[in-house]
Amino acid sequence: MIIKGNIKGLRVSSRELEEQIQQAIADGNYRLTIKADGQHGIGGRIWPRGRKVHVTVDGPVGQRLGSMGMEGTEILVRGSASDDVGWINCGARITVLGDVTNGAHNAGAQGVLYVQGGAGARCETMTKYNPRFEPLQSWYFRGVGDSFAEFKAGGIAVVCGVEPRNPDNILGYRPCVGMVGGTIYFRGPIQGYSENDVRLLEMTEQDWEWLTTNIKPYLKAVDRLDYLKELTRSPADWRKFIAYTPAEKAARSPMKISTPEFRRTVWEPGVGEGGIFGEYLEHDRTLLPYITTGEDRRYRPSWNNNKYLPPCAHACPSRIPSHQRSLLIRQGKLQEALELVLRYSPFPATVCGQICPNLCMDACTRGVVLDQPLDIQKLGRLSMELPAPEKAGPTGRKVAVIGGGPGGMSAAWQLALKGHDVDLYEATGRLGGKIEWCIPRSRLPQEVLRKEIERFQALGVNVHLDTRVNRKLFDRIYREHEMVIIATGAHQARMIRFPGWEDVIPGIDFLKSVNLELEPEFDLKGRKVVVIGAGNVGMDIASQAYDLGTESVVAVDIQPPASFGKEQEMARERGTRILWPKVTRKFDRKKGRLYFEDGTDMAADEVIISIGDVPVLDFLPQGINTERGHITVSDNGQTTDVKVFAVGDATRPGLVTDAIGQGRTTAETVHSLMMEYDIVPELRQVIPYERIRSAYYESEPLAEFEPRHEADRCMSCGLCRDCGMCEVTCYYDAISRVEGENGVFAYEVNDQLCIGCGFCAGTCPTGVWEMEENI
Amino acid sequence: MEPAERVDANYELPLREFPYIIRWREDRCTRCGRCTAVCPVSAIEPGVQVQRTVTSEGSTPVPVARRDLIQVVRQVNDIDRYCTGCSACALVCPNTAIEPEYNPQNKFLFFKNRGGAAYRRGGRRNDTGPSTVDQLKFVRISMLTDPALDAGRHEFRIRTYLGRNLPAEALPVTVKRGRLVRDKDAFIPPVREIYPIRIGSMSVGALSPHMWEGLAMGVAYLNEVEGMPVVMCTGEGGIPPRLLKSRFAKYFILQIASGYFGWDEIVHAIPEMTEDPAGIEIKYGQGAKPGDGGLLMAYKVLKLIAQIRGVPEFVDLASPPTHQTKYSIEEAVAKMIQSMSMAWGFRVPVYPKISGTTTAQAVLNNAVRNPYAAALCIDGEDGGTGAAYNVSMDKMGHPIASNIRDCYLDLVAQGKQNELPLIAAGGMGKRGALAANAAAMIMLGASAVDSGKYMMQATAQCFGDEYNRCNLCNTGRCPRGITTQDPRLYRRLDPDKVAERVVDVFKAADMELRKIFAPMGRSTELPIGMSDGLGCSSREIAERLEIKHVV
Repeated sequence: MIIKGNIKGLRVSSRELEEQIQQAIADGNYRLTIKADGQHGIGGRIWPRGRKVHVTVDGPVGQRLGSMGMEGTEILVRGSASDDVGWINCGARITVLGDVTNGAHNAGAQGVLYVQGGAGARCETMTKYNPRFEPLQSWYFRGVGDSFAEFKAGGIAVVCGVEPRNPDNILGYRPCVGMVGGTIYFRGPIQGYSENDVRLLEMTEQDWEWLTTNIKPYLKAVDRLDYLKELTRSPADWRKFIAYTPAEKAARSPMKISTPEFRRTVWEPGVGEGGIFGEYLEHDRTLLPYITTGEDRRYRPSWNNNKYLPPCAHACPSRIPSHQRSLLIRQGKLQEALELVLRYSPFPATVCGQICPNLCMDACTRGVVLDQPLDIQKLGRLSMELPAPEKAGPTGRKVAVIGGGPGGMSAAWQLALKGHDVDLYEATGRLGGKIEWCIPRSRLPQEVLRKEIERFQALGVNVHLDTRVNRKLFDRIYREHEMVIIATGAHQARMIRFPGWEDVIPGIDFLKSVNLELEPEFDLKGRKVVVIGAGNVGMDIASQAYDLGTESVVAVDIQPPASFGKEQEMARERGTRILWPKVTRKFDRKKGRLYFEDGTDMAADEVIISIGDVPVLDFLPQGINTERGHITVSDNGQTTDVKVFAVGDATRPGLVTDAIGQGRTTAETVHSLMMEYDIVPELRQVIPYERIRSAYYESEPLAEFEPRHEADRCMSCGLCRDCGMCEVTCYYDAISRVEGENGVFAYEVNDQLCIGCGFCAGTCPTGVWEMEENI
Repeated sequence: MEPAERVDANYELPLREFPYIIRWREDRCTRCGRCTAVCPVSAIEPGVQVQRTVTSEGSTPVPVARRDLIQVVRQVNDIDRYCTGCSACALVCPNTAIEPEYNPQNKFLFFKNRGGAAYRRGGRRNDTGPSTVDQLKFVRISMLTDPALDAGRHEFRIRTYLGRNLPAEALPVTVKRGRLVRDKDAFIPPVREIYPIRIGSMSVGALSPHMWEGLAMGVAYLNEVEGMPVVMCTGEGGIPPRLLKSRFAKYFILQIASGYFGWDEIVHAIPEMTEDPAGIEIKYGQGAKPGDGGLLMAYKVLKLIAQIRGVPEFVDLASPPTHQTKYSIEEAVAKMIQSMSMAWGFRVPVYPKISGTTTAQAVLNNAVRNPYAAALCIDGEDGGTGAAYNVSMDKMGHPIASNIRDCYLDLVAQGKQNELPLIAAGGMGKRGALAANAAAMIMLGASAVDSGKYMMQATAQCFGDEYNRCNLCNTGRCPRGITTQDPRLYRRLDPDKVAERVVDVFKAADMELRKIFAPMGRSTELPIGMSDGLGCSSREIAERLEIKHVV
């Protein structure tokens, strides 16, 4: 049956032509010839119902010939066809005896396309794969245009490459972009393809068998059998594309070459070995992990045993190492512990145990951060009965100490302990200075002081009592001794010259007279006493005055009272009132009144002044400078004369413990100068409270004093307790305890194991472990 | 005041005031110490704690007190050792026992001025909201109206021009006997074809050697292996002579700023250079810290830095906010551009970089009239820096979007929009959308964008973010090894990996740019100024930028 696409010069529309074709099939016409006139979609959508339908097309063909063509439909175009031949082909066999233009077999799924000529652009794109059917076949005799087989998913395309329009490239520009399935066989030169998507392969035996089998019907259909021999000459003439699998694509490195390879083969050959910074960097060109050991750590632990002073020893002018005393007690060495203190002071019982304000206890970490400070006072008293420590062998060096007070005795004690020959000159008939003369007996049992003075004397210092040093004697002493230490104290009261000052009693004279029992030089019975100066000495005076039967004591001061501690407590308990600010204007002894600058006045039968004492330094030669009445000294106690040193109140007013401390350090200096070694000054800083892990200790109620218990309470600030917390804590077993001779121990770090985490420092109860920058 | 007898918490800050609070789980911790070893600021430390419990087990109350001392990892409540939230601790913890948690209630800035020192840091503006650029979307999707392109299938050539593009009529060419003849004596400004996303200026010194080399190597790789002409600005910290003398020099824009660091070495090296650099950037300002200069702290000035910069070791290196001998805009721009052009025989594009500012158009018009000015780079408020005052970073600067837009429209009004390229910087990729930000800026009128901080984040896993996380760049303690000169830290960073990530970043951004440009039918020419393709749901932004208001 012939269906005409042009009737009497009038073109039949695509719709009408399609209706006629479908009707013809319905009427049982299975062999149709279409005289086409550019109609679209010819030959598609024919459901042959088990028969074969032959459609032959003559004349100009429109687009989409055979689109949605079905199994059983055979279309033969006698000439070329337009775009999209076989679009979504579902099984039709389409033979074009000419060229096809763009988009042939686009989205084709099944069926066959035989092309006698070449093809335009974007052919074979989006083809499909359906396992229920035979795969799509597309045969092109010459070449194909650009963008061939994009997103191809199935079917076999064959491009024979005979007399192609572009002899250099039969597959057009960039074929196979996005291709995921199917096969392309081609014969002839190409210029590039989508290397990301497909691989170019040689023909296998199976390929060759399929090709040589299936090419015959194709060549026959397009009337080109005469090319059979040439096209099947050799599998080497052919190549094929197949798509990479997703797994292959995923496994593929996204980098064309790796960056280490780029460095090796491109970068460093260009800039030099070691890279652009190679000439500057000295370290290994390797990477480091985040957690490092050895030199690569940022911090390293350091077992800084005794590197810092504990707050107690730091607060103590005599630097008595109470933490070491505790350590020795804990180690069961009570005797050693008590003796240790004697190395620092000849007066542990008198001063630490009785009269000292115990700055150590105020500073004690235990008291500051937990409960009560260590009872250092009672620990001091424990040393009372001890004999003098053993002296070093005699050195033959002669040293003079002028003044037998706490400063002079401390210096003499230290020098004698070191084996020097010490002459001690004391103006009065008794040793002890202000301890002896000025401390109220109520605060210092005589027996304690006597014992400690006896111990001092037992050490073998040449004590010259009742020997007041004058210029002449000083010069002799100076000549006869290698070094001289002045410790004459301050024994002259400082006076204020307001009207009536002549009637004021100097406080120091008052105290001395009381201690020497020179009553009744001052008869205070029933009298009203005013003390000018509310410092601790003023408080002692007030207490003493009450002891002598005074009716009342008022202490006045121009500033907040400097007194504190036991002195003030005792005086207040007795009834002493403290008033300030009060600036004295005059004293009228006759009227028994004291007048102040603020216009007030008060009853005062006696006025005692206690605003400090000044030294008497009439024996000093010119070469020794003084400043505002005190001897000028350097930090180590040296005066302007290199062989003369001075300590205690003669240099500046201070506590007894200050004088003892200065006596000791000055003695150290004198010793080092005589023995010609370099003194190592005490530069240790105090350990901060935060460094002590008080969490280890439990707050406890006050208990009866017992040395061992007290030593256990000591937090051992800055001094290793040898508890082993660090060793056990270290996750990396980097810390170990090593023991040397005489029980000397240390904790050591294996730097190759340590990562510098700081757990040792964070765990250490005593703050001995410190983290330091690892430079 | 007299201190209290026992002062405990009187002067301490509760951790609640701190920007990050360490969450440590006692039950998971093995006390291995990795976290405390790695914490860059010692914000955590090991310690001991007592736990006291009283129990009663029987049928009558029989109190049993129990006291246990346990080891803990605790946060230090010292503002000088505040936790920066970097999470290096969490990174190294084998048991997920520790991590910092952001504390939105923090009063950090109330206290971070101890000793009267204003807070300084590295990083970027701590603004967690989306920037203007991040609010722009691409609303012109041509499917049937323009030849829509397929980013995956079609070939794109995403390139831009660095340098002054003379209009055809201004080119010194004539037609003689049907042939184009160039006037050999006339000056034709140098132009480079480059990739429109550049690596912004980060100096040797601000960055560690490993980081800098990683970036540089990545750039070289992109050029030589991937064929992408990506360029990188050196920042002002000198350039390793080895690089300068290599063929790779052509991928680098050399920066000169007010510190002139390393420039004597560069001048010495010019005769030995085999390639001209890609350009010269003269830095007048930085978006991250307008009006503030650069400062490389003394402890970062180790031997390498000292040698490359030509200064003594361990001294503070200030790049002052202004160039010391430039007294006016005309003089500054003209003098510097001319001198830098002369150094390479007028063969290299030279352009100024300023921080985003309301005065940008004044500089622009100056540059337009200077025949040697190759471009204008504007660095907006969201730029990053290695060190700046927090106030400069958080409160100073100009958003880049409107700044570039104004300048572009100004150029359009003068008919110069194709002649002088604008380069946008500051916050490109701030929220991870590098290509989208770049495309938006291009469509607003930029010819190229610079990205720095994003590069550090994307290529070296920089911890920093806009919650002020880490931001330790200025301290030399960068836990990632990016901004430190301490080999113990920067040897954590593998330059090869950085380079690989640079390649990743640019390849991915290239694909994203294609995805944005394809539906607009652009595959060869950038849609510079194609603002009809941009939209924003904010009316204010849309009106201000003269783009579509879409809701």
